[in-house]
Order: sequence, then C-alpha cells, then structure tokens
Amino acid sequence: MKKKKTIGRIIYHVLVSAFGFLMVYPLLWMVMSSFKESNTIFRTASSLIPEKFTFANYATGWRGFTGITFATFFKNSMVISVIATIGSVFSSAIVAYGFTRSKFKGRGFLFTCMLVSMMLPFQVIMIPQFIWFKQLGWVGTYLPLIAPYFFGQGFFIFMIMGFMEGIPTELDEAAKIDGCSYYGIFGRIMLPLIVPSMVTAGIFSFMWRWDDFLAALLYISDPVKYPISIALKLFSDPGSTSDYGAMFAMATVSIVPAVLIFIFFQKYLVDGIANTGLKG
Amino acid sequence: MKSDKKEVKKVSPQVSHRRAKLTLWQKLNRQSTAGFVCVFPFTFGFFAFTLIPVIMSLYYSFTIFDTLSAPKFIGLQNYITLFSNDARFLKSLGVTFFFTFTSVPLRLVFALFVAMILVKATKISAIYRAVYYLPSIIGGSVAVAILWKRMFATDGVLNTILNSFFGLFGIDSSFDYAWLGSTNTAIWTLVILAVWQFGSSMLIFLSAIKQIPTSYYEAADVDGTSKYRQFFSITLPLLTPTVFFNLIMQMINGFLAFTQCYIITQGKPLDSTLFYTVYMYEKSFKDYAMGYGSAMAWIMLIIIGVITLLLFKTKKFWVVGEGEQ
Amino acid sequence: MKKKIALLFVGVMAAFSLMACSDSRETGSADGSKTTTEAESSAADGTTEAAKTSSTGEAVTLRISWWGNQLRNERTDAMLKAYTAENSNVTFKNEFTEWDSYWDKLATQTAGNELPDIIQMDYKYLAQYANNGLLADLSPYIEDGTLDLSAASEDIVAAGSVDGKVQALCIGVNAPALVYNKAIAEEAGVTIKDNMTMDEFVEVSKTIYEKTGVQTNIAYGNGDNFIEYFARSAGYVLFEEGQLGTPDDSVFLDFFHMYKQAIEEGWHVDPSLFVEITPGSIETDPLVSGKSWAFFAYSNQISAISSAAPDLDYGITTWPADNAKAANYLKPGQFFSISTGCENIEEAVKVLNFVTNSVEANEILLAERGIPISSVVAEEIKPLIAEADQAAFGYVNNVVTENSSPVNPASAEGSGEIQALLNSLVEEVCYGQKTPEAAAAEIFTKGNEILASKVAE
Repeated sequence: MKKKKTIGRIIYHVLVSAFGFLMVYPLLWMVMSSFKESNTIFRTASSLIPEKFTFANYATGWRGFTGITFATFFKNSMVISVIATIGSVFSSAIVAYGFTRSKFKGRGFLFTCMLVSMMLPFQVIMIPQFIWFKQLGWVGTYLPLIAPYFFGQGFFIFMIMGFMEGIPTELDEAAKIDGCSYYGIFGRIMLPLIVPSMVTAGIFSFMWRWDDFLAALLYISDPVKYPISIALKLFSDPGSTSDYGAMFAMATVSIVPAVLIFIFFQKYLVDGIANTGLKG
Repeated sequence: MKSDKKEVKKVSPQVSHRRAKLTLWQKLNRQSTAGFVCVFPFTFGFFAFTLIPVIMSLYYSFTIFDTLSAPKFIGLQNYITLFSNDARFLKSLGVTFFFTFTSVPLRLVFALFVAMILVKATKISAIYRAVYYLPSIIGGSVAVAILWKRMFATDGVLNTILNSFFGLFGIDSSFDYAWLGSTNTAIWTLVILAVWQFGSSMLIFLSAIKQIPTSYYEAADVDGTSKYRQFFSITLPLLTPTVFFNLIMQMINGFLAFTQCYIITQGKPLDSTLFYTVYMYEKSFKDYAMGYGSAMAWIMLIIIGVITLLLFKTKKFWVVGEGEQ
Repeated sequence: MKKKIALLFVGVMAAFSLMACSDSRETGSADGSKTTTEAESSAADGTTEAAKTSSTGEAVTLRISWWGNQLRNERTDAMLKAYTAENSNVTFKNEFTEWDSYWDKLATQTAGNELPDIIQMDYKYLAQYANNGLLADLSPYIEDGTLDLSAASEDIVAAGSVDGKVQALCIGVNAPALVYNKAIAEEAGVTIKDNMTMDEFVEVSKTIYEKTGVQTNIAYGNGDNFIEYFARSAGYVLFEEGQLGTPDDSVFLDFFHMYKQAIEEGWHVDPSLFVEITPGSIETDPLVSGKSWAFFAYSNQISAISSAAPDLDYGITTWPADNAKAANYLKPGQFFSISTGCENIEEAVKVLNFVTNSVEANEILLAERGIPISSVVAEEIKPLIAEADQAAFGYVNNVVTENSSPVNPASAEGSGEIQALLNSLVEEVCYGQKTPEAAAAEIFTKGNEILASKVAE
C-alpha cells in the first residue's frame, strides 16, 4: 500500500515538475540571455548557458536614457500600479455588491453598459479618449492612467459578482436582523468572504497596470515620468542597433515585483480552511 | 422564496414609518437606493470617461478620418466596403474565430485541471503554482516574441527535440518543418502561446475552489465518496459560476487578442495568423483610415455582444447559483 | 517567516524607489558639469554659433520629439543641452520613444492638437503631415539666412520640400548599400564590383549558391524600398500624385518574376524564414545569421551590422540596377520639421541651424543619424567617427554621390498602403499562391486606385 502511494507521489512530482520546466523555460531563457553579451544572444539562442557570463547588460540597462535611470522608471511604475490597483479593487468590490445584492431601476441597463465597456478594443477609443482627456487638461499627467480605475473596472466587477453570488443570502439576513445596515453588510460580511477574489483582482490589476504601455505612451511625454513598460520598448528600435541584452536584463528586473506579489499573496488563495461564516 | 421573505420584511418598517418622514439615512439604506449608491462609482466613471469616446468612435465609423484632418461623413460606406470588398477582413474574422474557439476551451480545461492538482496548501505546491503562473507574467513582452520564434523555427528548439526523439527510435531524420512559415501550422503556435499562459484562469479557479466550504468535502469523505466523484458532484457544480465568468472573459479576450499576433507574426504568413484587432489597427494607424477601423471595431462589438447574450441565455441551464440574477 | 518576507519585499521596493529620488539630484549636477566643459571647448573651436545666436531674454521651452535607441537618445539630449548652454533662454522638453509607437503617438497628438514643436520626421510620412498643413514652411528662413544651408547640396534640401515649400530639414544622409559577406564571395570565387546590373547580380547569386550553398535574400519583406529603386532604373518615379508613375505593369512583372525565378532555382532564402525573425531588426537579418550572402541595407545601418556581427568581414557596394545612375540616390535618412502650431518658430529654426552647421553639435551626434548635410561639418567630424561609420562615409561620398540622381520626392499619401500590398504580393508569389502576372496586374490596378482615392478626398 505505502509503495503504491510513494510511486504515485513520485510520478506526480516528476510529471508536474517536467511540465513546470516547460512552462518556465521561456522565462529562464530570457533571464539567462540577460547574462550573455548582447550580440551573441541570437547566435547562441539554443543554449541556455551563456558562453561568457556577464553583468554588463544590467549596468547598461540600468543606466536608462539621458540620465534617467531605471530606478526612476521603476518608481513611476510602482506609483501608478499600486494606486490604480487599490482604487480598482475596492471600487469594483463595492460596485459588484450593488449589482449582486439589490434590484434598482436601471440595473439591467448599467450592467449591460459594463459588459459593453469590456468589449470594445482599446485602439479604437484611444483617439477620442485622448481628445476628451485633453479637454480635461489631463494630458501629460498620470491622471488618465489612474483616475478611471477608481470607478470600477468591468472585468473585476464581473469577477467579484461571480464570487458574491456564491455567498448565501442567509448571511445578509442574519446580519440585518442584528441591525446591520446595507453598507454594513458589505463591510462586515461580504468583504471578509471575498478576500480571495479581491486578492486575485489585485494581482491581475497590478500586473496589467504594470504592463500597460499604450495609455502611458499617449499621455506621458516627459521621459522622467515614463513607466517601465515604455522604457523597455526603448531598447529595441528597428532603425538602429537594438540592445537586446539590456532589454532582457531590465525585463528581468521588471518582473520581480509581480513575482514577489504573487508569491506573497498566494496564501490568501489556497491556505487553510475556508471560513464561510455559517458557523457564526 | 427568499425574495418573498425580503418583501415581507420591507413592508413592516415602511408601514410603521408612513407617518414619520424617512430620514436620509433610512432612505439611503433602502435596498434599491443602496444598490444604486454602490453602483454609482461605476455609473459616474462610465459617463465621465467611457461614454463620450465610445459615441465618438461610433460616429467615426460613419466617416473617413485620417486622424490628421477632420472626419468627413460618408454614411454606411465603410460597412459596405467591409462586407463586399475586403477579403482580408473576412480572413481575419475567420482566423480570430478559429483562435478563440480553440484556445479558450483548451485554456479553461488546463486551468481547471492544474488548479485542482495544485490546490493543496503545501510549500511545494506553492512553488509549482508560481511556476505555472509565471508565463502569464511575462505576457506580451518582446522576449516572449523572440523566444517563441526561436522555438518554432526550422532549426529551432522544437525541431531539435523532435529530431532527437526520432533518433531514439533509430529513425534518422532531419526534420525541419517550418512551423511558423507554413500557413497551416502558424496559427497553432499562437494558440499554444495563449494556452501556455493559462495561469490567470488558473488563479481564478484557485480562489473559487478555496471558497467552497471544506465541510462539503468532509461530509463526502464520511460517506466514502471517491475523490474523483467528489470533483464531479461537489467541485464542478459549485464552480460553474466561475466557469461561466471565465468563459465570457476569455472569449472576449480571445476575440480582442492583439499582442500575440502583433509581436510575433504580424499576420504572416499570408494572413493566416491575422487577428482581427491587428488588421483593425493596421487600417487605423498605418493606412490612416481611422473611420474604417472604427467600423471594424463596432462590428466586432456586435459579434461579441451577440455571443455573450447567447451565453447568458444558456446560463440557467448549467450554472448553479444561489444569488439572484 | 511570512513577516520577514513581507519586510524584505517592502524593503526592496522602497530601496528601488529611493534610488530613484536620489538619482535625479545627481543627474542634475553631473549634466551640469558636462555642459560647462562642452561650452568651454566650443569657444575654443571658434564656431560662429555663439556670436550669431543672441539671447532675446525671453524664456522659451521647445518640445522636441524623436525616435531612437539608447545611444541616439543620449547623444541628442547632450546636443540639446549644449545648445541651452549657449542660449540660456531656450530649454527643451524631450519626448522620445521608439519607431513603432512614435507614429501612433504623433497621430494621436495631431488629433488632439498637441503636436510637439520640433518633430523628427521620416520620408515615408512627410507627405501625409505636410499635406494636412501640419508642418511649418522653412523656406523664408532659408532665404533670410536664419537657416544657413549654403554648405548642403540643393538636392538634399529639395528632398524635404512638398508643394515647393521646404517643410522638413534633412539631418542625416544615407544611401542604399548592399552589404555583403566577403568571405563567402571569395570562397565562391566571385568578384563583387560596384554598380552591378541585375543580370550580373543574379549570376553572382547563382554562383555563390552553387559553390557554397549560401542563398540570397533579395530585400524580402523590405521590397517596398527596392521596388522604387527598381522602377527608377527603368526610368520611372513610382509614386506620383494620384497615380502610379509606371504606364503599365511591366516593371512589376519583372520584379515578381525575379523572385519567382529565384525561388524556383533554389537560390533565394526560404520565405518561411522571415516569419521566424524579427522584422526590421538587424540582429536577426539573414546576413548576420549566415543564411544570406547579401543584405539590401542603407549606409546608416552599417555600424549596426558590424556590431551585430563583429566577426563578419563585410564589403559595401551598390544595389544592383541596370541603370545605376538613374537608380541610385542619396536619401535623407530623417528630418526635423517644425509644427505649424509652434509658438516660437524662429527659435526652433535656430535650433535646426545649430544641428546643421555647428561642428560642436555634430561632434556630439557623431553621424548617428546619417551623414551631416553640411559638407563642411562632414569633413570636420570624419576623423572622429567609428570605423564602420567611416566606411559608410567613404561609400556614400566616393561611390554613390558621383553616380546617382536626385531622390524621388516624398512619397504621396497612400504609398504606405501600396508598399504593404507589394510585400504581401511578394509573399504570395514566393509561396506559389499567385503568378507573377496576376500579382503585377493586381498591384498596378490597386496602386492606381489607392493613389487616386487619396487625391479625391
């Protein structure tokens, strides 16, 4: 009996890690390439290990452009991503609550609006939105990159709604009997229960804001304010030499926050025994 | 049944308060108003930031607009041209449909499967989860584009592996199929890329699985149900709202996919990998035909809208939900 | 344990962000010291710039945009700081991105009326922007001497004019350059001479393939540049206002036939290779990876080629053409234009003058964008530039300048669409999906349609 289990476990681990290696190979390739000399990257593309291990790319990459180092770009991305994420997650949660737990006039209409807002390709509203933001005087600031996210984001509203629908309404009623207001129910009952979905939303939001370059491209012209997403692209200009080594080096640096956040917040997604509140 | 209970509850406070005026707080606390207040951030944001640009883009779809000068109204001409005289439009539509209907189901299946396997709270599982999620993090980067090309090149990693595999059986081959260069297989490299990045769907399933009370599983264990059956009788049904959500979102993302095509193949070879949004982008920004591109966007919007509506209609047949909809 | 990780995490983020804060202060002082030494050296050089430009006392900020990589960004920024050192009332706001995003951003800025003051412009887009009245007319400034172009060739200056008005100033000259692998040519026993005809080129390619197995890449995916050259050799300017310059599709037919023949005879690189490389990137070009013995490049790409392939012993010659003198040309690599919305056009023109005529400015730029248009400046900086660039200089001055004719006028609106169509037709012919006859007919009809429709608008 025990042997079966151990063999089963060994097979499990072998398969999962083999597959995991496949998953991670491209990332490994990028990281290893960042330690190769720039102009050997393509010639030695099939081997992971660099012929000549070098940190030069990190130095070159970090130097950034015209005296603005990657530290600045990093800080900019941090500011934008963190603030937008906080705004996005909390506002989406509140809006999801409104959609799930109540009926009011226009609910169907607004829900449809929300779905529609997710279905339009950005490239097509990018110019009208630019003109509109220009009227508001927001061009050149971070406002277009942060403010809209404080008003709920379709994707997250929809996702959190799904989670909320899974929470039995008995809890709401129990709380109401106890004298909780509608908003109190949100704060005391809902919020603790949807932590996993909010964490998921937070991880996604952070990553998407971090990677988003189209909005930054249009609204930010001062290189000092560039986020990392734009700065990375600056390394590869087809007309002149592209420094792929530096780009990979900085790209590696750039994924560190997302990886750390994931590792750190993972536990909210899987750990422990789920608390449904039914006991209380 | 539950809604009846709520109605009954509402009547009594209101009846007794009919004599006194409702305080502001009580007004705000009414279920209907409270709902409106909670949704208000979205309403405001939508009207402030999205509505006008959306209407403008609809207007542009009826014009010739080269971005550098003012738009000129031409009525339905863009739409007519699209359907009657644009082979690339139809081709890109076909490619995008194919891409969506292959990559989305594959992604969801992988995501659910891996989520189930990795749901344990052990440290090793945590590492595995991170590893399986990593591909999603480096999403649309140039590094992925370069690497993907290297992998599927005629002298690339995949062919090398296949060659050594054949070598094991004593077959001496110099297999050098051009995965990327052949119109039949190029689109599959993009599908594989999309499926490879299933990490985000996996994440959503993980958090949904966590929300299933373990008491259900404990009860099933007591009954002696196999883990296999538990999956199909407990987990899957309770996950259907999440599956539904994931399906809608992935479908929308599939139709609007842009980056993979743009950074890796740009539609080549021979438009066999031309995503709809990439063609739309080319028309809008490279050919300076923003009006035409806007028309394309609205057509896609309608397509996605119809499919989403159909999916919503099927919701009651297979999605298990406790809240009202 | 979790707390420790959390603290570590926060600490790392904080550290990075703090580095950012301190580093902006450092840059200020570092740059300051750099510019003072440059200002001193310029005085020693004795350029007349300091005397000419006088500070009007009014503070002016000019927004300047360009596309480029790390090297260009740094050199351009240094040059602009040198300008500010001499003209303290003028400061610059740099706006740089890379090529792809550049045009999207410019188009969006145009729609929102937010164009920068000085715009780096490209030949492919010049007509589009000029015809919409977005670029300022520089002719009056040339006439009154604010923009001194006496040391530049008239043809090059004329290249930047649309409708008789100079709307863009060339800031770097280059020319078509066939860069080839000397070692392979020697191995095959062929001599590559300048100004080869098409037949000679085909012969050479075939011989090389027979003797060494190395194939040729005839500007695949980049055919849009080669077709104009090809047409020039036959005596036609490809893009005219409202129609194609060729009276029939024979030029296209020859062009497509060339590819078809090359593929059938086996000496052209397999087209599927091109999906596997990064388009436009020099690092992945078949010449660098050894799959092709030649690269249809431009002279300002030579230094990039030599750094991507440091072991390559390369030679430079002309693109093949039956009529070399008619085909070959000196091309403006890029321009600076001034937007009509600029509030200080005269100040902006002075900056352009600095870029063109100041030896100091060009000692900083070091021909990174191409050869300076002022022959005086070009001579002065020649000894300072890198070896590969010197080779490019030599090629342009000695081989091309004598044996060329004026470049085609800025491509008409709609040319971009036609070029894209051409590239996809080449692809179809190479994949055997279309016959050269069908392809030629298609591009001839559609090309005329597209150009005509743009005029009608």
